[in-house]
Amino acid sequence: MTVRILLVDDHPVVRQGLRTLLDGRSGWEVVGEASDGVEALEKVSDLQPDVVVLDVTMPRMNGIEACRLIQQRTPGREVLFVTQHDSPQMMREALAAGARGYVVKSNLARDLVEAVDAVSQHREFTALKRGPHAQS
Amino acid sequence: MKLRILLADDHEIVRRGLCALLQKHEGWEVCGEASDGRQAIEMAKQLKPDVVILDIGMPHLNGLDVTRQLLHHDPHFKIIVLTITDADQVIREALDAGARGFVLKSDAARDLVSAVEALQSKRMFFTPRVNDLVLRGFLDKGRAISRDEPPNLPILTAREREVTQLLAEGKSSKEVASLLNLSTKTVETHRSNIMRKLSLHSIRDLVVYAIKNSIIQIQMPPQAGSAKESTVA
Repeated sequence: MTVRILLVDDHPVVRQGLRTLLDGRSGWEVVGEASDGVEALEKVSDLQPDVVVLDVTMPRMNGIEACRLIQQRTPGREVLFVTQHDSPQMMREALAAGARGYVVKSNLARDLVEAVDAVSQHREFTALKRGPHAQS
Repeated sequence: MKLRILLADDHEIVRRGLCALLQKHEGWEVCGEASDGRQAIEMAKQLKPDVVILDIGMPHLNGLDVTRQLLHHDPHFKIIVLTITDADQVIREALDAGARGFVLKSDAARDLVSAVEALQSKRMFFTPRVNDLVLRGFLDKGRAISRDEPPNLPILTAREREVTQLLAEGKSSKEVASLLNLSTKTVETHRSNIMRKLSLHSIRDLVVYAIKNSIIQIQMPPQAGSAKESTVA
């Protein structure tokens, strides 16, 4: 079954970059994009993606708040944070908000595919700059 | 012959997005990618690209200082700077450094192709806000400076600015010396001169100076609770 992915980041160039890593992989489909937390909630409701790839710092509503609301309103989605914040504290906050994964933008080429693969199978995947840490 | 573009940004995901954007344009090729300012200088000198696209907030050497150093080396380099902010101070620094294009990262998907096209046609490309600032300066009888502009800042040499950035990034004098191929003693001398010129007393003061003057850029995490106010039902 195809894993349906929603990309959420306020920079279109970053969304384009994420697409280059995810598009064309067998069994995955990027079904939509959103540029802030508010739009993300709308798109999650409309598109019912399996995985939401979510930035932390965004206008109107940040990713942490969006993640909480996604989990409240449309449970069953897996959220993977993709962020510049290489911070254990921010990572804990993200996981407490209901995310299944957390990776930093500087290491995406190394971590993104593995992270999406893990969270789509409901496994936790976190990776700060020092390296990935996956749990089954 | 294809237009050759060098891209410099510390985030691979951004470089991938920019590459995808630029390579849709027939007749353009990304001839190289750099992930920090020092690498950008080496690659630009080696590859001699037609256009250089530089992120301002890069580690080791920021995009503005890369612009200054490249144009000092060869004034024919055509440089577009990418920035997360169009604050007056950053615009002035970019214009002063000699950038011919100024594009906000958030608008890059819309503006970057136009900016490269402009430089290809020997024109400049600036966001509307930059144009406003330049016009204001012109109307203000050549003073491209707003009235609340702080007094003239002490001039640091290019080397002192490099050392300032590296120290503000948290590197020790020994680490700076190793990165710049200098002796630790020379770095200590630069450090004393910087502190004296700027009347600073601690590394903390130096970090604040570097942030205020766009030598380094930081991104603040979202504030707890702030998102709730903007939440929609």
